Amino acid sequence: MTATSIESLPETAPGKSSRSGGRGRPGWSGRQPRSRLHRISPLILAFVFVPFAIEAVWVFWPALQGFWLALTNWDGLTAPKFVGFGNFHDMVSDPIFRTALKNTAIWLVLFGGLSVIGGFGMALLLQKERRGVGIYRAALFTPVVFSLVVTALIWRVFYQPDGLVDSVLRGVGLGNLVRPWLADPDTALYAVILPALWRQIGYVMVLYLAGLKAVDPALYEAARVDGASAWQRTRYVTIPQLKGVNSVVLSVIVIDSLRSFDIVWSMTKGGPYHSSELLSTYMYSTAFQSTQLGYASAIAVVIFLLALAVILGYLIRAFREET
Amino acid sequence: MAGLAADRRTFLKGLGMLGAAALVPGCATSTTNSNSSGSSGSASGELSLQSNLSAEQAKAAMEKLVEAYGKTGGKVKLNTVAAEIFRTQLPTYLTSANPPDVYTWYAGSVANSYAKKDLLLDVSSVWDGMQNYPESMQKLSTGENGQKIFVPTNYYWWGMFYRKSNFAKWGVTPPKTWAEFLAVCKTIQSKGVPPIGIGLGDTPWVASAWFDYLNIRINGAPFHRQLLAGEGRFDDPKVKAVFTKWKEALPYFDPKGKSFPFQEATSALLGGKTGMFLIGTFFADSAPKDALDDIDFFQFPIIDPSVPVAEEAPTDGFFASKKAKDPEAVKKFLAWVATAEAQEIYVKNSSGTVIPANPDGKAADTPLVRKGKAMVQDAKELTQFFNRDSSDALQPTADAALTKFLDKPDQIDQILKDWQAAAEKVFKA
Repeated sequence: MTATSIESLPETAPGKSSRSGGRGRPGWSGRQPRSRLHRISPLILAFVFVPFAIEAVWVFWPALQGFWLALTNWDGLTAPKFVGFGNFHDMVSDPIFRTALKNTAIWLVLFGGLSVIGGFGMALLLQKERRGVGIYRAALFTPVVFSLVVTALIWRVFYQPDGLVDSVLRGVGLGNLVRPWLADPDTALYAVILPALWRQIGYVMVLYLAGLKAVDPALYEAARVDGASAWQRTRYVTIPQLKGVNSVVLSVIVIDSLRSFDIVWSMTKGGPYHSSELLSTYMYSTAFQSTQLGYASAIAVVIFLLALAVILGYLIRAFREET
Repeated sequence: MAGLAADRRTFLKGLGMLGAAALVPGCATSTTNSNSSGSSGSASGELSLQSNLSAEQAKAAMEKLVEAYGKTGGKVKLNTVAAEIFRTQLPTYLTSANPPDVYTWYAGSVANSYAKKDLLLDVSSVWDGMQNYPESMQKLSTGENGQKIFVPTNYYWWGMFYRKSNFAKWGVTPPKTWAEFLAVCKTIQSKGVPPIGIGLGDTPWVASAWFDYLNIRINGAPFHRQLLAGEGRFDDPKVKAVFTKWKEALPYFDPKGKSFPFQEATSALLGGKTGMFLIGTFFADSAPKDALDDIDFFQFPIIDPSVPVAEEAPTDGFFASKKAKDPEAVKKFLAWVATAEAQEIYVKNSSGTVIPANPDGKAADTPLVRKGKAMVQDAKELTQFFNRDSSDALQPTADAALTKFLDKPDQIDQILKDWQAAAEKVFKA
């Protein structure tokens, strides 16, 4: 789906300028929904309620159960035992939970921040139509196509002892930096962030490219006429115009950071000794390795609240600015 | 490559299984409902056998075993699942409304924990025909309430494996005591080879073998079992003594071993990149057969001669779900796998480094296996392995503590304190 959007980007670009004068939207698009409100066709109702019913069974009900399980001790075999907020109380004194929380914060800042900066930078670099620009865009987007598990396998080969990373470092005379990248608690987390970024930057770039295409070229023309420099055009035209895309990117980044699991699990399993543990991997290992499903559910609730807090916080601010 | 594809397939199967379990409404929290909602019960009278023997040779041997059983008139459908997925999914299998009938699993407390939850089929009647099995096996297969819940089919041993040609080249002979062992390490290191191989990336549980062996050599098997059953403390000075001893050998460990799994550590040993490797005979499943001729092992060195010699001899076999659709057919199958001939079929078709549990069963007639069998038979005490003597839930606490110790041996007091705290949480749950 997203792959087609790259190809379609150049085509939509020339058409844009002809419409640029149309500030006031044509009337028909505004009138139509209002008249439809009165009689809602059963087809539309079906489209709403059938997915809702399916969601209710597959998503909402298990989610509610998760909240309930968070208040219990459950080994998956016998009946769950209600313990109130005991699990959350245990979390406070759990050093592994604290490491996981800290790592998730590092992950959010590094993975989130760098993929926004990198993706935005790449989008700026590659937004102009030049010969062969499609190749660069496609190249940056390719990692998104790979499954994260495949990405992890490839990077594990890079990182393995005497692998590509080690031989490159030795080749340039930095052999003393060589270490067991994924087995050293000081480097494991960062060694996993790198491939995650490698993939995410391409994705964010595409989102920003789409956003940049939607910016009215007349604004740039006006800014240029007013003598704005390239930096000023970026700062005062591009960035404010991308507000809509930013909220999408932020949601994507926060959700992707908090649910990052596959790449960490397939590269380090949260090890060595929990040093690259994220909340998500810790949740999985407490649930399915230590079979403490109640405690794991409590961690899941924390993850949910974190995601909600970050995203709601941003959305509320964004809405407030708009009104 | 083929292994990868197979792994993915089995993973997907496991995922499907998980999805199916989630479909049964309310099944996530209610475990009391049984056959009420039989959705896809196989009415063909075919037993479903869930196997975790996913290594190539072991898997092939299981297929041969099922085929042979088919010739006796029984019908069994084999479903091989990657070992790691099997382990995490086993509780889900057993508590689902429509579980597979028979499972490969390990003897000891790791099986008894399911018996305690009343999830396993009572197979005492199968044991009526297994009178020739030694008492140790009987004890190992008995659940809390005195019922037999497990049918052992084979066991293997752990040892310090090495290449005969390399030991000859380096001019060292297999050591018997700890002091001799350290001397051998020193010699091998002087030849520019890391003496002790290990594989902790992805398979950190391999480190538990060192803990187990040092503990049963220094403190003895009874202390070890009590500790693992939650009756001791990991911050006990006696446990610290284990690590003090271990520290003496730490400089000889292969630093690269932290990065790769035991399969690669096996390759390193076979390729002469490490000197020796404390591992169970299952490593042979992923080793080329011709390399095995050059492989030998020695018993883990004796540290305190006054401690009765114990060896790790993990026992594998089968247990069955209490909800098995046709318990009589299950028992018939289990009675058959307990026979010497069935176990010989498995031994012959696998890498041949396991020993039939049936005393009449013939193990592969190689010097290696003969030596292994003799070592286990001479042992005064037998232990299973860390997770088998405790639980799969305790294993991750050991993994964290032991890998951290290998990395930061100076923080031993803190590590043991953390380990005790983590273990208490597991025992409390």
